[in-house]
Amino acid sequence: MPKDSDLVRCPSFNQSLTLRNATRMISYIIKRLGLAALITVLAVSLLFLIIHLIPGDPVSTMLGPRATPELRAALEARMGLDKPLPIQILMFFSNMLQGDLGTDVFSGRAVTDIVFGQVPYTLVLILVSIFWAATLGIALGCYSAVNRNSLGDRLAGILSVSVIAVPAFVVSLYSLLIFAVYLKWFPAIGAGEPGDWGDQLWHLVLPSLAIGLSWVGYISRLVRASMLEILGEGHVRTARAFGLPESWVTYKYALRLAILPTVTVIGVGMGFLLSAAVFTEIVFSRPGLGKLVIDSITTRNYPVVMGSVLFSTLIFVASTTLADIINAILDPRTRTTK
Amino acid sequence: MTKGNFEWSKVAVPRRQFLLGASALGFSAATGASFAGQAFVAGGKLKTRTYADIRSMDPAFSQGVVDEEIQGAIYNKLVQFKPGSEWGWQLDAAASVEQVDDTHINFALRDDIGFTNGFGAMTAEDVKFSFERIIDEKLESTNKPDMSALDHVEVTGERTGTVVLKNAFQPLWSITLPYIVGNIVSKKAVEAAGGRMETKPVASSGPYMHKSWDPKQKTTLVPNPDWKGDAAAFDEIQIYHIDDEKAAEIAYEAGELDFTRVSLDSVERLKANTPENSTVAEFPSLFYVWLGMNLDNPKLGNLKLRQAIQAAIDLPSIMAASYFGAAKPSTGMIAPGLIGHRDSSLIDAAADLEKAKQLMAESGESNVSLKLSILNKSANVTTAQIIQANLAAIGVAVDLDLHEGATFWSLGEDKTLELVLNRYSMTPDPYYATSWFISEQAGIWNWERFSNPEFDKIHTDAQSESDLSKRDAMYQRAQDLMEESGAYKFITHEATPNIYRNTIVPALRPDGLPLYRYFKKA
Repeated sequence: MPKDSDLVRCPSFNQSLTLRNATRMISYIIKRLGLAALITVLAVSLLFLIIHLIPGDPVSTMLGPRATPELRAALEARMGLDKPLPIQILMFFSNMLQGDLGTDVFSGRAVTDIVFGQVPYTLVLILVSIFWAATLGIALGCYSAVNRNSLGDRLAGILSVSVIAVPAFVVSLYSLLIFAVYLKWFPAIGAGEPGDWGDQLWHLVLPSLAIGLSWVGYISRLVRASMLEILGEGHVRTARAFGLPESWVTYKYALRLAILPTVTVIGVGMGFLLSAAVFTEIVFSRPGLGKLVIDSITTRNYPVVMGSVLFSTLIFVASTTLADIINAILDPRTRTTK
Repeated sequence: MTKGNFEWSKVAVPRRQFLLGASALGFSAATGASFAGQAFVAGGKLKTRTYADIRSMDPAFSQGVVDEEIQGAIYNKLVQFKPGSEWGWQLDAAASVEQVDDTHINFALRDDIGFTNGFGAMTAEDVKFSFERIIDEKLESTNKPDMSALDHVEVTGERTGTVVLKNAFQPLWSITLPYIVGNIVSKKAVEAAGGRMETKPVASSGPYMHKSWDPKQKTTLVPNPDWKGDAAAFDEIQIYHIDDEKAAEIAYEAGELDFTRVSLDSVERLKANTPENSTVAEFPSLFYVWLGMNLDNPKLGNLKLRQAIQAAIDLPSIMAASYFGAAKPSTGMIAPGLIGHRDSSLIDAAADLEKAKQLMAESGESNVSLKLSILNKSANVTTAQIIQANLAAIGVAVDLDLHEGATFWSLGEDKTLELVLNRYSMTPDPYYATSWFISEQAGIWNWERFSNPEFDKIHTDAQSESDLSKRDAMYQRAQDLMEESGAYKFITHEATPNIYRNTIVPALRPDGLPLYRYFKKA
């Protein structure tokens, strides 16, 4: 009878283990994607209902005050607004599956073109914000955990809690006043010249600061707490007992596990980042999904509202699903949990 | 006629390389140096702001000043608004225009105007096409009412023709020809584009031409090389879409705009601390704000009660608190400088509490409680709160009912509407103002459901009255009738405060709106 150590060395056993893990992973990913699709359909349907139930109509907004009843009726028919709401929802999903999100009530442009034109601005803003926030937050969290109760840890704690408490729009306004109006270091409006990457990055500094600042504090607190918990666990003590270097123990063993909740939080936090982007885009007069949603809601431009809402939902659902999958890759326990 | 086949050369080298910028930033941070005045406002560029994104570059479908600010610079009209403090027009594409009788206007086009993109010289056929397509049922133009009096355009020569009206129509010279529907487009270009344009003009003819539109960000205009009139003053005009006036003020103070409208509550601050090398200028606005009372609501059926409300509202307090002293009380819908403006209203601007209380007693009403519907904007909320306090003094309790834009603008259909604080836009002709308050508009834009046969007749007759003094008296009488109904307390026309760099000479309409084609460098 083979010993346990022989089993581990047995190639067929290892292959079977890898295969079982891969199967579990694929099954997990399929489940998550199915759930993501369901959430998207439900969220978009709900938002469709809400948008159509609030008073105000795009026909009045588009045609202006002097439209004849005939003109109104024709436009309503063209937009499908004369049909019952459930039919309108079905039409929306059926057209959506064919890649058709309708046309802008005012300009007549395809909604997909309009939304695709704005999504990159918001995505870049969010990704840049979260990138620098995560980089700084994780570094600060690690430092605090490793140097627990030091002066640096205490200062980092005060700083983190302070920035968590400041809303994005306050940071937006003050950063504008200080860095754009008073110091004139950074531009105050717009997203920079199309095609000029330097100019676009230049225009990203203040908006991404506004969105990312509170996340620095949030992530650093989270990483610190997780790190402290992990650093006290048995396997870390064992690693130390084996004489592994402290930096190896901290960054190879502790940080890998401590970062898991951060990945989840960043994934779920995309929703918050999207709403923070709305304010920021307006304050900095940047193009983007947020500005598009606000403009189209105030004019009841239903096709554009739905197109923007669909993409916002997709960004949110995709980021949470991605966070789940990354979690499952980093922590095998996640994918085995029913 | 030279052709306008232009090749746009892209800027190959980024204006500010990121690394260069980052290095400069690092240097600045280290040394305390400032980037003030660097690069953000370039010499040949005019950077301005508009409050909304463009909707259409087709005069048949464009919606108001935002589109027209651009169209006015890239298209030509027979006549354009004249910049200055008094309303008037001047020749543009027309070398001459003559009204031969009430319904016939002869015109002759200049011989040096052409369309870009190779669409040739501007001819009378283009004028005919541009005007007649607006009234074409098939096109379903949203701007058809502004051209409603047009019967047809007769082409009498390559560059001459006659605009033939169905009936005399005085607003032709203040709304139709010098505003949106007066823009002349290229027949060939529009037909080649399928009969209508969207957000990209297919051919321009003005001193500037459309270079690009970055949705939700900005529109860029550049000089039209084929333009033979006074040369365009700027190498580029960038019109930024900034909804919020406060954000625009910050952008101006950061040196990123050369011209912008500012908020009324900032006027005092900006006048006291005017940014370097800048001018703050205030212009009378054409907008009109009023408190309306729904005559079909039984709660407001008592004329004495309505008159008590009219008398109790104190406009000086509203001017001070809501408009920071930058606006004046109005006497009606029609602003100073326009035909039909009244020097004074029938009801005093200041509250007359004694009279209001007396009217209240005469009405026999007690425990009156009313709902005041308002659009959720800071000036409206303050005004509503003052009205609430004013009416509390005569025993009328007022609840404020706040709405966001689209909800508010659908309130007209609500028969149970009580009090409403309203604000309409206006063009420089009184016909535009009275058109919303005729009986036919009750429940549509006439939210007070005011119905008066004499008013309706004035609206119809005054459109074609060519004797200006008679026309003036007719519109004054129309506003008297509105006030006498007890359904209206006119509040203000607001104001249009602008700020601009002293390096430019803005060309503005009397109401402070920009005419970019006439902007110059100082």
